[in-house]
Order: sequence, then structure tokens, then C-alpha cells
Amino acid sequence: MPADYDSLTPGQAFPRVEYTLDAATVELYVESVGATLTGHVPPLAVAARAIASLGGLISLPPGTIHASQDFEFNRLVPVGATVTCQATVLRKLSRGPMRMLTLETIIEDEAGQPVQKGRSTIVLPGA
Amino acid sequence: MEYAVREGSALPEFVRDVVQADIQRYAEASGDFNPIHIDETFAATTPLKGTIAHGMLVLAYLSEMLVRAFGEAWDSTGQLSLRFRNPARPGDRLTVSGRVESAKRDGGIVCVTCAVSCANQAGEVVVSGEARVALPASL
Repeated sequence: MPADYDSLTPGQAFPRVEYTLDAATVELYVESVGATLTGHVPPLAVAARAIASLGGLISLPPGTIHASQDFEFNRLVPVGATVTCQATVLRKLSRGPMRMLTLETIIEDEAGQPVQKGRSTIVLPGA
Repeated sequence: MEYAVREGSALPEFVRDVVQADIQRYAEASGDFNPIHIDETFAATTPLKGTIAHGMLVLAYLSEMLVRAFGEAWDSTGQLSLRFRNPARPGDRLTVSGRVESAKRDGGIVCVTCAVSCANQAGEVVVSGEARVALPASL
């Protein structure tokens, strides 16, 4: 069962999630963002699927939005590759009805080599 | 890569219209079905009063400008640090732009730092921040 905001603690690391960046998904992504076709997966497609994969781990209410984002890209990912993502809670902040959450995501390829690292701060809607 | 890196020079702009159909396609491609992006009835009840593009979709436009400027080096060595300032809504025309702040040689590479932003047709900044990329010094 996905963890809700109140149950999260800074430093909490989630189990690794594995996902495959198949050709159909990459083509749909490229079409939706107007990206240049290359021989590899656009790094923000890798990141987007990583963030979506957190949905099975963390329960975020409808209306949650992005406040800030950092990325560090380390390696190209070929179309069809399987990668793993590990998420860690870095920070929680509540101010009145506003709740913010900062998550780190570390993505590695099948050989365990770093693909990219991300830090997302999101704002959850007031209760 | 067609862009010549010089301190103070502008990156080639990237312009994209935000349309709900692209937001829907992006939701399917990314797996992010948050109703604030795709459910107009739900979104109308929120403080935002309507659907907005995924933040990551806007970042994808920004990344597209950078890959056009710096080629594959962007996808394999790029770094981004960004803040979301305003939502991007269906009907908006977004212009992604950037400027080289510094280009410093370090051995066989040049470390390039750029100020980047994305603004709508009213000039409101949607996203702003910094991008860094390592390029071969021979370029």
C-alpha cells in the first residue's frame, strides 16, 4: 500500500523500482514533447517514468504540483533498456495548509551504472 | 551541434504551443495521470481554475532547446536546477530561451553554464534556472 505524506520521514528510502523504456512509450513521449529523435531515450523521459513509478510507493493527492527540480544526467539510455529507480525522502515541510515534499531519485542501468539523479520538490494541496 | 558557445551569447529559442491533446499524450507517455493535468472538471475546482501542463512537460521543452544547442553532450552530461514560477495552461505559447553565462576550459572539456527560462505569451516566467553541460574542448 502506498505511503501517505504523514507517514513519510526524511531519510526514508523506498525499494528500487524497475521499469523498461520500450519503443512505443518513447515514441509517444517524443511526439508529445516535440523532441528530436535520437538513438536513445530522452533523459527527461527516463525521469518522467521514474517519477510516475513512485505512484506505487507514495500516495500523492490529486492536484499535487511541482515547485522545483534538479537533474544530473550521467549516461545515455538505449531504447528498450530496463533501468531501476530508488527514491529517498529528503525533506518534509508543512506551513499552514501547505505541505511540501522533496524526493531524491537515483536511476541506474542494468549494470548498476548511474544514469541520472534527480531532486524534486512538490507541493501537495491543502487538506 | 550547430551552436557556437560564447559567453553572453543567446541559445537558439524553442517555441511550443501548449495544447490539451499534447498534455493528454504526455500523461500516457509519462504515466502521470494527476487530474490537475487532464481532468477539466476536477481542475476547475482547484485554485488553479483549470488544467495545467505537467511541470515535467515544460522541462522537456527546455531540455529540447538544450539538446538542439549542445547535442548528445546535453543528454549525457547535462545538469539542471530549476524553479517553477507560474503554471503553463492550454492555449499558452511558450518560448524557451537561454544565455551562456560562462564557458570555462577544464582539461579536455569546456564547462558551460547557462541561464535558462521559459515564458508564456504574456511574458510571465513559467520556469527559470540554470543549466550546465560539459563539452569536448575541441568543439
